[in-house]
Amino acid sequence: MAVSVEALPTLVPVEVERARRQQRTIGFAVFAALAVVAFVLVHEVPSWMDIGIQRWAQDRYKWSIVNRQTSPIFTAMFNPISDLLNWSVQHVESLLSWLRWPGVVAITGVIGWRTGGLRAALAGAAAMFGVGVLADWDLAMRTLSIMAVAVMIALVIGVPLGIWTARSDRAERVIRVLLDTAQVMPIFVYFSPVQIFFGIRFPAAVVVTVIYALPPAVRLTNLGLRQVPVVMNEVGRSFGTTGRQQLFKVQLPLARRTILLGLNQVIMMAFGVVVLASLLGTGDLGQVVVSNVQKQEVGKASAAGLAIVLMAVALDRITTGDKTRVISRFARNLPRVKGRRRTIIAIGVPVAAILAARVFDATGFPSSLKVDIAPTIDGWVDAVQRNLRKDVPLIGGTQAINDFLVVRIINPVRDLLLALPWLAVVVFAAFLGWLVKGWRLAGAMGVCLLLIATMGYDNDTVLWDHAMDTLSQVLVAIVISVAIALPLGMWAGRSDRVERTLRPFLDIAQVLPQFVYLLPVIFLFSIGRAAGVVACVIYAIPPCIRLTSLGMREVPYTPREAAISFGATPRQEMRNVQLPLARKAILLGINQTMMMVLATVIIASLIGAGGLGLLAYRAAAKPGIDFGLGTAGGLSIVLLAIMLDRLTQAWGTSTDTERVA
Amino acid sequence: MTSIRRARRVAVAGILLATALAACGDDSTTSESKAPDQTTAPGGSGTEAITIAANPWTGSAVNAAVAKVVIEANLGAAVEIIEIDENATWVGLDDGSIDAVLEVWPSGHAADYETYITGKQSVVDMGKLGPAAKIGWFVPKFIVDQHPELATWEGFQNPELAKLFATAESGDQGQFTMGDPSYVTYDAQIIDNLGLPLKYVVAGTEAALLTAIDQSIADQKPILMQFWKPHWKQLEVELVEVKLPDITPECEAALASQDGSYACDYPVDELYKAANAGLEAKNASAFAMLSKMTLTTEQQSEIAGYVDRDGLTAAEAAKKWVDANPDVWKAWLA
Repeated sequence: MAVSVEALPTLVPVEVERARRQQRTIGFAVFAALAVVAFVLVHEVPSWMDIGIQRWAQDRYKWSIVNRQTSPIFTAMFNPISDLLNWSVQHVESLLSWLRWPGVVAITGVIGWRTGGLRAALAGAAAMFGVGVLADWDLAMRTLSIMAVAVMIALVIGVPLGIWTARSDRAERVIRVLLDTAQVMPIFVYFSPVQIFFGIRFPAAVVVTVIYALPPAVRLTNLGLRQVPVVMNEVGRSFGTTGRQQLFKVQLPLARRTILLGLNQVIMMAFGVVVLASLLGTGDLGQVVVSNVQKQEVGKASAAGLAIVLMAVALDRITTGDKTRVISRFARNLPRVKGRRRTIIAIGVPVAAILAARVFDATGFPSSLKVDIAPTIDGWVDAVQRNLRKDVPLIGGTQAINDFLVVRIINPVRDLLLALPWLAVVVFAAFLGWLVKGWRLAGAMGVCLLLIATMGYDNDTVLWDHAMDTLSQVLVAIVISVAIALPLGMWAGRSDRVERTLRPFLDIAQVLPQFVYLLPVIFLFSIGRAAGVVACVIYAIPPCIRLTSLGMREVPYTPREAAISFGATPRQEMRNVQLPLARKAILLGINQTMMMVLATVIIASLIGAGGLGLLAYRAAAKPGIDFGLGTAGGLSIVLLAIMLDRLTQAWGTSTDTERVA
Repeated sequence: MTSIRRARRVAVAGILLATALAACGDDSTTSESKAPDQTTAPGGSGTEAITIAANPWTGSAVNAAVAKVVIEANLGAAVEIIEIDENATWVGLDDGSIDAVLEVWPSGHAADYETYITGKQSVVDMGKLGPAAKIGWFVPKFIVDQHPELATWEGFQNPELAKLFATAESGDQGQFTMGDPSYVTYDAQIIDNLGLPLKYVVAGTEAALLTAIDQSIADQKPILMQFWKPHWKQLEVELVEVKLPDITPECEAALASQDGSYACDYPVDELYKAANAGLEAKNASAFAMLSKMTLTTEQQSEIAGYVDRDGLTAAEAAKKWVDANPDVWKAWLA
């Protein structure tokens, strides 16, 4: 990638170039000096750096337990919210159960039809029908009720926050950090507090889902509003609109497409936590996954997991619809044909479905339509396990890969990180930041790592060591993910057939609850870090493949054609024209991969990956003892994530500006 | 603009429809969950619906199911079983959203006992359930057949024998595998204090541990782990408990002080029941019945076997056992 930048002629004046070189020399000298200091000074994280955050968190937790019935914070604030949430979920569930399955399927179809035409209608309705085929309908509707309430709340909070951040840069900076934290903070850490604050079951499940699913609503509203062309704002202003009119009549309508994409992302994120949220006692489809995983019933867990996927797909299809069409219709103000008939159909179909359900008394989903896919899946899993684990020609099987990954790759990386004096790691991270973007990023990277060193101890082990353990797994998983995803993404970007073939796999890998494939992963690999890395890779490659392919496809045709007309071979054209121009999207893909890896490395602690993830899990597993410890572990993950995120994001933009300069 | 107006009309009609449905919905739905409410009389008249937690293992599920069958048939109160995680159970017991839990393993919940039962007194101890459980170190039987010394902890002092349990994760040492970190564990202390050449690895979940057992049996490659009985896996594979040093007064002191010097076997877990402190006032007869409810280890295994071995649901298993054993549960009502 550096090649492409250098290949472009630099238009930088000589003096500027000289000044920059001088700066570089100074920088190198500073970091070299710091590195020497780091090696000479102390090898271990000194104990005075522990700022006592664990104790502080544990004390707050304990206080909440003791005072939850008496303190006004609870009686006046959280308890009413809790009651409201409970009430909402129960009433949505009543409504859905009153509609019965034909009603729900019909309404899904009609919404899809209104937003995306016949295709979306059929896809949505079919997916919703599929939920009934694969899983218990009533449990699925309970999941849907929790999701519906959580998504509504995420929007009610998220969109105004997004509007605010779009209008104030300062608000944006503050809220961005909060959103980053919400997105990366392991759910396990706030599991117990949420129960204590909002009560177990539905309220807790809704709150957990909202925390996790809120960020895209804010981010995309903000993005959409900021993307409104200046001209449109000017036009509005020249017509004398007030601030409010400007917002509601000009900006929001124009940002509508992006905001709807935000809704879609909120739904997807929300469905991503269904299974974990069910640990709070929701008794829904997520619970079916959990209890079957507990009994090693992979087939049954997968059936329920796929039903969750189908429900997400149904909502995805009817919310993504053909939004462009809606926009253009608004923009061009085209009259729609046959409006009345549409109205009749839109109301008539669901009513007919509901009436039919009443008349035929279709209480449950008809069992004759159900398909039990569990034995089939168990068969596949068995076959894969039997044939891939051992005695595979050449590679020896997944067991051999497991041992190779642990002994030859993950261990050396971890041992290196642990063998280095801790300050040297800090200096090196700062140095990387400086190389990519200069002193500010260098400072941010250094501060993140320094803060991790203040997180205290887990018995005798300093948390820093757990962080390095996790960092080594994260780095390995990122490298493997990118090594797999980039070529696949490029291939998909150049071939429609490959793209089409990959899409369903990517969809499933992204939406299928991670819980479902954790067990199959350890069926093939052993419990431990290799299995953890594999789980991370499965979850992390889809966004990278998608964004690479998208980036390649969005490269305008003119430069590519120019290259071809100059006699470039397809390979040369791809390497020298298409890839460099798609670079921003590809880097965004790598950034997303990294975030996914950081999210999964937590879940991977459920199959033996240890590290910070296990600390976070212990906050949920033994909150009375380990809540403080888990909080410190969760914060460390957040700090690692912020560090890696800022680094790759800067990498994406810095060379861009260089190129422009 | 006609199109927008029409779109609005559709939207309004849709909302009206939905509201209408919701309105009619309210009186005709959730017949099961609402029914108990209608029979509710004010005060602890003994008919108010109660909620019992079922934690994610078979024993807990069948206890709750048996209680549900007995209470609903004899005391006229509806019982809702809530499938929920162990830790969330205590939060629920504290605020009354869960009325009772019938199987608590004391070793894992010493902190909760102190916080809620002795401290806040928002939860009450309802006495022992009956079965005694035992946590300990287990290995597959085949490895004890090959190396009988491994039946006791001393066998693991031999680095050569310990190495039989090595994995990629543990390197040169043998691997000691722990399952779910929410279970009580002194294993790291025991390994340290007995000076065994073992590396402590947390599998993370019970399911992961069970998978490791399966792989161990399939590959005939031994595993050393923390496990317990009763557990349905014990019916499926042959496991042997490794003898650890008997509990000494020093170890009891170490348990109390939590100073990290524990080096003995795990104490026997006598399972107990707990309830929200308001249950007695809310439904005295159910509280009395649950307090008296006991099962022997054999009885519980029998009911759990219907589920784990014969594939019945917990509710079916409970019904079957209740029908066959009236004298046992009639004593709980006396």
